[in-house]
Amino acid sequence: MKIKMDFVSSAMLDKKPKKKRINFILNKVKDGSILVVDGVMTAEEEMELIRETMRRVDDGFPGIEVCSLKKQVRGFQSFLERLSDQRTRIQKVLIGRIPETSLKTGITLVGPARYIKKIKKNPNSFSVLAEA
Amino acid sequence: MGMNFRGFFDWFFGLFGYRKNIRLGIYGATNVGKTTLANRISLDWTGEEIGKVSEIPHETRTVQKKEKVEIKLNRRKILINLLDMPGLATKVDYREFLKYGLSKKAAKQRAREATDGVIEAIKWLSNVDTVLAVMDATQDPLTQVNITLLGNLEARKIPVIVVANKIDLKRAKPNEIKEAFPQYPVVPVSALKGRNMDELYEAIAKYARRAK
Ligand SMILES: Nc1nc2c(ncn2[C@@H]2O[C@H](COP(=O)(O)OP(=O)(O)OP(=O)(O)O)[C@@H](O)[C@H]2O)c(=O)[nH]1
Ligand SMILES: [Mg+2]
Repeated sequence: MKIKMDFVSSAMLDKKPKKKRINFILNKVKDGSILVVDGVMTAEEEMELIRETMRRVDDGFPGIEVCSLKKQVRGFQSFLERLSDQRTRIQKVLIGRIPETSLKTGITLVGPARYIKKIKKNPNSFSVLAEA
Repeated sequence: MGMNFRGFFDWFFGLFGYRKNIRLGIYGATNVGKTTLANRISLDWTGEEIGKVSEIPHETRTVQKKEKVEIKLNRRKILINLLDMPGLATKVDYREFLKYGLSKKAAKQRAREATDGVIEAIKWLSNVDTVLAVMDATQDPLTQVNITLLGNLEARKIPVIVVANKIDLKRAKPNEIKEAFPQYPVVPVSALKGRNMDELYEAIAKYARRAK
């Protein structure tokens, strides 16, 4: 009947390389925790998370539920984000690889599919129904 | 007369056998009607079906292909390779299949193949030119699978047509899909009944592009 929730700062996850970040998330979720992070992944990273989840599915772990809210950034902040995307591209040309990206502003919830019964997403909010 | 620049281009390169088929990937969550749609498109233009349809989720577990499907509209011809993908999912629970009367052993086997299918579909994202993102219009469109799929295609600059399927059902709300994804062309269809397919072919003719 108990469900554990872990709130993790994106600053902590940002320090990890992409692969380790996904492993960290999936290890927590496979242990039964619902994880909440103050950031959102890129679409590519989300797809990577789905792929990695599929590799780990077994009889006791059917997979995950994910939901995220992106903060709509405008004005100066969006300028900064675009600048950072630009920097990423330049770095890619200079060093021949894409540097580890950092999580963007927003919120993400990842939890075990066996506990999360339903997620209702709206443009600016979402609600989660969980049951152990 | 009547041949636009692109038509001329296709004709010109077609003469030399340079014309490559457009790889049209059919993506979406499981059970939304991807294979029904692929069969409909294939039947309409080649007279043959391409895959098996089922009410049990994860029926398609390996990519189903139909090559050289020629779609003719007005004076334009486009050649596509249809690629019906396994349904995307963030979870695969073998217990789900038991409800449809599968044995435990068969259900577990199906689940294993389903997870491989999702991985294969994701891998194919780097091998498609244009995507039909199929959604079930009787369901909430704002799911993580749909959002992640569209986000990925956008990052890869792959043209997308959103297909709002199952409009023959009374509870279908294709407008909810239009509202959820206003930045995409959305075509409501019934793949099962073959409803509004002409509009979909027009959209394919308009948006389908080979990857650069
Ligand atoms: N009413 C209605 N049912 C449909 C339509 N298209 C598909 N279906 C039904 O939806 C179910 C799933 O169809 P499929 O074509 O197998 O779906 P899919 O997306 O290929 O599913 P997976 O391969 O399992 O991912 C079947 O029972 C179909 O008959 C439609 O336009 N209208
Ligand atoms: Mg299918």
